[in-house]
Amino acid sequence: MPRRKAADDQPGEGSARKKQKRSIPVDPYQVPEDEEDPVPPKKRIRTSLRQQQFDDAPAFPSAEDEIQADDQQVEPTPTKKRRGRPPKNSTSIAGTPNGKVSTPAALRQKATTETPVRFKGLDTPSRRNNADRSARRKSARALIDRVVGGAISDDDEGEEEDIVREIYESSDDGEGGASQQEDQEGAAGADDTEGEGAPVAAAATAAATPSKRRGRPPGSVNRKRSPTPPPRDLPPYEQYFYQNKPGQTKTSNNSLTSLNLLTHEEYFSLLRQVKDPHAADVDFLQSLQAESFPQWAFELSQGFSPCLYGYGSKRRLVHQFATYLSTQPANKKSIVIINGYVRTTSIREILSTIGSAINPSHKIASGNPVAMVQNLFSLLLPSLDNTTPHLILMINSIDAPPLRRTATQSILAQLAAHPKISLVCSADTPDFHLFWDSGLRSSFNFCFHDCTTFAPFAPAEIDVVDEVHELLGRMARRVGGKEGVTFVLRSLPENAKSLFRLLVGEVLVVMDEGGGGGTVGDRGPGIEYRILYNKAVEEFICSSEMAFRTLLKEFHDHQIIESYKDSIGTELLSLPFRKNELEAILEDLMS
Amino acid sequence: MAEVEEDPNAFAFQEDDHRGAYIFTASHPAENQAASAPQPSKRRRVSGKKRKSNMPDATPVGEELSDSDNGSGLFVSLFSGSESKEAIELRRRTFEKGWGDLLEGRIQRVLREANQNTLDEVGSFMWDAEAKLTADGEGASISKKIPAGFIITGPNIASQDLLFEQLAETLSDAKRAARVVRLRSAGAPNLKAALKKIINDATASLSERSEDDDIAEVSVGEDGRKHLNYDLEGLYAFLKARESRRVIIAFEDSEAFDSGLLTDLIVLFHSWQGRIQFSLLFGIATSVDLFQARLLKSTAQVLYGAQFDVVQADSVLESVFRSAVAGSQALLRLGPSLLQNLLERQKDQVAGIHVFISSLKYAYMCHFYANPLSVLLADDGLLDRKLLQPEHIEAIRSLGSFREHVEASVEARQLNHAQSLLDDDEYLISQILQQRQKRLDYLTELLRSLHLLTTTGLRPGSFTDLYVSALVNGVDLLSEDFSNVFDSARKLGPGEIISLITSLLNAIQAGSPDLDLQGWESDADELVTALSGIQDKVETLVTRAKQSGQPLKSKYSAQGKILRTTVVAQKVQLSHDSATLTDEDKAFTKAIDDLTELLSTNIYCPPANSLFLHEAWLYNSKSPYRDVFVPRPGTTFERALSRPHDYLNCSCCAKVDGTLAATMPTASILYHMYLETGSLVNVSDLWSAYYALVGDESDMGLDERSALFRFYRALAELRLMGFVKQSKKKADHVAKLKWL
Repeated sequence: MPRRKAADDQPGEGSARKKQKRSIPVDPYQVPEDEEDPVPPKKRIRTSLRQQQFDDAPAFPSAEDEIQADDQQVEPTPTKKRRGRPPKNSTSIAGTPNGKVSTPAALRQKATTETPVRFKGLDTPSRRNNADRSARRKSARALIDRVVGGAISDDDEGEEEDIVREIYESSDDGEGGASQQEDQEGAAGADDTEGEGAPVAAAATAAATPSKRRGRPPGSVNRKRSPTPPPRDLPPYEQYFYQNKPGQTKTSNNSLTSLNLLTHEEYFSLLRQVKDPHAADVDFLQSLQAESFPQWAFELSQGFSPCLYGYGSKRRLVHQFATYLSTQPANKKSIVIINGYVRTTSIREILSTIGSAINPSHKIASGNPVAMVQNLFSLLLPSLDNTTPHLILMINSIDAPPLRRTATQSILAQLAAHPKISLVCSADTPDFHLFWDSGLRSSFNFCFHDCTTFAPFAPAEIDVVDEVHELLGRMARRVGGKEGVTFVLRSLPENAKSLFRLLVGEVLVVMDEGGGGGTVGDRGPGIEYRILYNKAVEEFICSSEMAFRTLLKEFHDHQIIESYKDSIGTELLSLPFRKNELEAILEDLMS
Repeated sequence: MAEVEEDPNAFAFQEDDHRGAYIFTASHPAENQAASAPQPSKRRRVSGKKRKSNMPDATPVGEELSDSDNGSGLFVSLFSGSESKEAIELRRRTFEKGWGDLLEGRIQRVLREANQNTLDEVGSFMWDAEAKLTADGEGASISKKIPAGFIITGPNIASQDLLFEQLAETLSDAKRAARVVRLRSAGAPNLKAALKKIINDATASLSERSEDDDIAEVSVGEDGRKHLNYDLEGLYAFLKARESRRVIIAFEDSEAFDSGLLTDLIVLFHSWQGRIQFSLLFGIATSVDLFQARLLKSTAQVLYGAQFDVVQADSVLESVFRSAVAGSQALLRLGPSLLQNLLERQKDQVAGIHVFISSLKYAYMCHFYANPLSVLLADDGLLDRKLLQPEHIEAIRSLGSFREHVEASVEARQLNHAQSLLDDDEYLISQILQQRQKRLDYLTELLRSLHLLTTTGLRPGSFTDLYVSALVNGVDLLSEDFSNVFDSARKLGPGEIISLITSLLNAIQAGSPDLDLQGWESDADELVTALSGIQDKVETLVTRAKQSGQPLKSKYSAQGKILRTTVVAQKVQLSHDSATLTDEDKAFTKAIDDLTELLSTNIYCPPANSLFLHEAWLYNSKSPYRDVFVPRPGTTFERALSRPHDYLNCSCCAKVDGTLAATMPTASILYHMYLETGSLVNVSDLWSAYYALVGDESDMGLDERSALFRFYRALAELRLMGFVKQSKKKADHVAKLKWL
């Protein structure tokens, strides 16, 4: 019987197949609503269209219309529908908790489109096109129909179904393989591929076991998206709007828990082992850049400030340039290198270093940076008669976070504008030039050079492991794990230690209970702030909430606890450590 | 260290690299060699699009450079290093003369002159206010107010600096002995800092204090009392001792000051007004109304203000253009397309005149630094035959203008000339040396034509546009471009014609100081006599017409045409007919025709690039300018990451064209994947995709840990470049930040 159905509904070709698949999961809704709810069809279409646009299936509306037309031609037989309803109804309600409730019209619409096709096949068999149906296609259709008419007793048609599935799977590398690929492409870049991912497979399993119906919706979503793969050649701003459309942040739930993340030790040992296949090319590229040194030196001498930008570390290049400059025979100069990438760089440090470069015996009092600059300039004043050296500032990563403040940049600009000071800098981000308004730009008097080096960043420039872990939200690194915590606690008063012990114990209890409680996002399980406070009071760790807060603040400052709010706004406290680390910490604290 | 640095696998710990700032000492000569001399064995051609140097033709050779210890150290030897030292030195000197001696000072002067009006106005206002104050006496209402000058500088804060510098100079001249303090918002974040700065600057301007006072918290007044360095009492004591009471405080970027701070300062100054006489200057980018709205009413009432406007940026640009670009003193001519670019940038972006000047300077630098033929611009005495090496000759023979010149002479049947140019070096050199005079003649011709043309006022549009189009198309009044000149000339009445001729004669006599153009009466006898002849003729015609009572008209003037309607066989025929012209009218028409013809022969010059050897003095390359002043870092990063082969020129990634390949640098691979993601990126999936590409089962066959190592590094780099940031939405997810 299903085979006949399949053979029959060919006119829509691909689209027919598509709409069937699409509508499968929501089919159950259709039956009751169709009969109970007298919403006029036109209105339904409109709502459904809107829904579709939200679902991001631009090609869809026309298909929908077509289906609607279909719908009117065919006379549904209510008894059949009834039969299909009860089991599916239960599963899909369970599968879609709240998302779909809001759009019943759309669901209804899809359902009406779906069922008639099925019955059309049943009621008016036509053999017209039997000949051009491949066995595989027929079997796919059969499988789908099976899913749709899931209520039809499995025993009845078990045999036939097996055959159908066999045919289908055997020809996987043919058309099926292609469509599967297409699907995956549509979902490329970590979109949701639930388990098997390929909808075809999902269809098969769903057909075999109706209880697995849950697996279908994502599959059908994929199916829908495949006709419109993410556009590739859009201009950047269009890309932005395309990718930031509401409701489009679908990513899989995979996480890196199974992966053993790199530690600093491992990273550095790998750093020594791993060979970059491009090392020679990078060196060559750099030697090309180095050929521009005389040109840059000339620009420097004419009051311009070369600014080197581009991908890759330019620290080495800048260093070489400094070496080059220092070998130049021109009159006396001293070079100060400023490393913007060092997190602790401060403008005071820079200015006092410059001061000592101008005149080692004179120390600039540190204070207000603006005043320091004034003092610097007064130091340079007598230098008009060439007794003091010409000063060259070389700034690595002028766009690094420590130098990003406007005040800092304006001080640097003031320095660069001084006739006795020249400036060379490198920039690592693509939008560094937004730091400067036209006033600063003209003080700096930049001339920009594309210095894409592809050179790897040195450990001093970028702490790879820390950066990545921070990116992933694994902040435990801050205090260096268990040892760090012990170290911090050693300097804290007794009741702080007790509080931390209490907290660790509570968190461990929560973890043992299954880790579910209070987990939000990537954080570990948390404990409610209130509960912890009450327990702390019970144990005489603190007497007032003020004291409690003070203690917690200390932990916060050392980043050994985290606090956040869950979805209903309860404040939760958690520890950024893994379970075994926590256990070790607790052991330490207890001993 | 050199060896260590060269080897990417051994990152030696360098203490200096972890310090915020340090003084560089070059103690590694070995590294220097490695840096300046690229290993020849690895020299390969870079892919065509990759520009290794912004200045074309420059093939600097490091070693030779360090040998030459004379002043020309900064210029490198061209012709692959075979250019002689003398030639290099000459290029350098020509550059210094061309830019430093001839132009830089002029430009500064032009800029300063542009502000002169404003300065005078502000100055007189300040002294008037003072006079009023003394006249009205201490008790009068006006004395309680603070004189305030509001200088509308416009949005371009870059050009304010010079203005305030000049203001400070004018206002603090010796006679008045006022102290001028310039305040910038960055330098005065709060009241205390602002007061400190004011007191410091006001007292330091006499430079009587020793250096220790800079550091000391207190300053010692004349009476031996100590004052805190933000106490105006100290300033008062200081001023009293010098019998001077005026302090002028200039708020350069008044919009950027916190309005609370401004209010506090003004109130404070007001309360001191009886003892120290403060005057204020505000640089205002928007409007006085907006500024006033930021102040309290009570505060605004203590100000006694006047508004001053600064010369518009357009007119400053025009005068700089006239003197530095078009002026006869400019050694190097900027080509039309480059100029067009520069001017557009001035219009489109609020780039400021300084950017224009920098660009101009950079063009000079490029030309003299990278073009060996720029020696031809040297002064007569300095350029001799010996200096021109065979390379120069060869370079000249490969110029486009050389070829055109030879072809033209072949066509003109000057075969000997062409033959000698090609074969005879000596002949060519003599020709080259002659070109210098020809260039000067051409420029004079060009400038005279332009000057006359602007004097007539017959052609609308600014001088800059006219100059640019003259470089491209030349000046030819008979051509399409200038057709409207004669049209408007013909419509002129007799009176206008006379005044036109008078102004032309004046122009010829006086030249143009802006353009540095001397009067050329002696050169243009014919023109002058012809012009005055026409003038006389027209004048007599006018008097005769007056006698006869008929207005003088020409056949071109509108009244000269009459529309006739004739009814022939019940049909109306319309016909234009020239009205009956009297003999005077005909003579006047003739005079106009003479004038236009005279103008068309005298206002003429060919396009600049039609000249032989124009490459030596016409700089028209846009790309260094664009790359250096208008960089597109986004595109650069995008390109480096998406097509690393363009830069690396490695054999492994050559096959893919902008697509993903496992051999690419890891950051490129991740960037390609990044492009395909949505706004939220699952790092776990990114990792598995990456690992699938380079992992065990792929061609690369990396083991998991080293793949992870690379993955880490690339991810950290992406973060460093601001492509991703941490996301709290989901575990192990990062948010996308860039859409390049």
